[in-house]
Amino acid sequence: MTKRNVFSLFEILFWPVVGFLSVGLLTNFLELDADMSGFILIGIISMSVTQVCQIDVAYVLLYDLWSKSIKHTFIAPVHPFQLILGSWLIGVFRSFIVFLLLSVLSAVAFGFDFLRPGIGPLSLFLLGLFLISALVGISVCILVLLFGYKADVAAWSISSLMALICGIYYPISILPFPLPEIARAIPLTYFLEYFRSFYGFDGEAKTLLGLGFGLTVFYLMIEAFLFRVVLYRSRKNGVLIKLSE
Amino acid sequence: MALAIQAEGIYKTFRSGWRGKKEKLVLKGIDLQIDEGEIFGILGPNGAGKTTLLSILSTLLLPDQGKVQVLGIDALQDGHRIRERVNISSGNANFLWSLTVRENLHFYGMLYGLTGKQREEKVNSLISLFNLEEHRDVPFDQLSTGMKQRLSLAKSLLNDPAVLFLDEPTVGLDPSVSIWIRDQIRSIQKERGMTVLLTTHNMREAEYLCGRIAFLKAGEILTTGTAETLKRMVRIGDIIRIEFKGKFSEDPLLRADGVINYTLSDNFCEVMVDEGEKRLGPLVALLIQGGAQIEKVTLGQTDLEDVFIEFAKETDSDMGLRL
Repeated sequence: MTKRNVFSLFEILFWPVVGFLSVGLLTNFLELDADMSGFILIGIISMSVTQVCQIDVAYVLLYDLWSKSIKHTFIAPVHPFQLILGSWLIGVFRSFIVFLLLSVLSAVAFGFDFLRPGIGPLSLFLLGLFLISALVGISVCILVLLFGYKADVAAWSISSLMALICGIYYPISILPFPLPEIARAIPLTYFLEYFRSFYGFDGEAKTLLGLGFGLTVFYLMIEAFLFRVVLYRSRKNGVLIKLSE
Repeated sequence: MALAIQAEGIYKTFRSGWRGKKEKLVLKGIDLQIDEGEIFGILGPNGAGKTTLLSILSTLLLPDQGKVQVLGIDALQDGHRIRERVNISSGNANFLWSLTVRENLHFYGMLYGLTGKQREEKVNSLISLFNLEEHRDVPFDQLSTGMKQRLSLAKSLLNDPAVLFLDEPTVGLDPSVSIWIRDQIRSIQKERGMTVLLTTHNMREAEYLCGRIAFLKAGEILTTGTAETLKRMVRIGDIIRIEFKGKFSEDPLLRADGVINYTLSDNFCEVMVDEGEKRLGPLVALLIQGGAQIEKVTLGQTDLEDVFIEFAKETDSDMGLRL
């Protein structure tokens, strides 16, 4: 679907690389030590991976929304969760490529070793990011079914807002009240702290991982329920028809 | 004959405005029975509720009240099973704009569970059926309206549906393309024996394609029947125009069979009759017997458009008397 879409190429490579290089160069300019640079590079890579993966999930409805073809998707005998799962798997693939590229760049340009925690912790960290992307993508789909065209901005804003609150470049303790409490309710916070714990930052890895996955599964169940409710509502109030006109 | 679609007491309200306080009752207790293998038309003016009704029957929209069964399956409880066996094509078709004709068909083919070679063959056969070969690699947003409509029909046959919903399939198309599309619909239906439910406000289309037609106005089905039945029901009749010389009294017209109404002047007579072809001969004979010299006779037959105009008139009370 996206192969002729130049913007999708930007999403895959251009923006993540530009963002990563600019933040990486900033750490050089500020003469941060290796651990502190690592803290920040983990943040920017996490954000890039999440954004690329979540947008693919959101595209399930966004392309139909923009093309006004949503009714043709919902009259087909495919379960919406099958569509979301398929898009998520594509997103996982694309964002994994982004991760590979950025981790190589971080090693070459900034001497940061992403493999230091080992394959196991790295895999769990990436799995956490991919699942969070599913959470964000599904929430965009829910908003599209609720608010139609007004909601497409959510595809780009939710992940950025989440990164801001979850301490992408800083510990959440520096955030003003009540943002740290909100951050504690978002699994990305725990996945970031989990991975950073392998680089000498505070945190009990197992606890953080458990909290991260626990919250993620909890939110996925809530979103699955909400998605069904909102889909039922959109069949009831005619949103599927209105978005196809 | 088994029923393909059965609807009973369908009501639908749309809400808008702040907290949905504005309500518009769009369908008011629709009852409908459509046989398997039938082409059934829903004819009505803009805003009558045609698309809303079709959307409910195709499971895209849920009614406030009422029962819907499609192919014997409850649409409100088991929409997913119905969606496996139905499909839809709409006028002013919209599909994924960045995909080509071929890619769009493959995409929707995937949604209908077609895989590998089976999907490739199905897509190729539909491209061929709708003469889309030259446009197979053209992105959707670069297609003409007619080509988009062909693609829409091709997409609607991907799953060989038992029931096909066509929502104003020729709206916005030029006459030659419209005729081609109608011919295609008719021949495909004949060949495959599928049930077709078509909404239109084009009377010729309804008359050409549909075995039975329901007139929908302001959310209510005013009547259902074949085109001929509806013409008779409305009793607007055929018009026989006769130019003559000589004197002629109106007494024979009052006695003549099948005369609904007439106007008579010095050398011109316009008579509305129930069946033009049947009444023409006896009427002319009456005039000759009455002393008139016939100069010219023309027969204007009622078409469905006249019926539509009658049904669509604002004077609902008059309509009630006629029916």
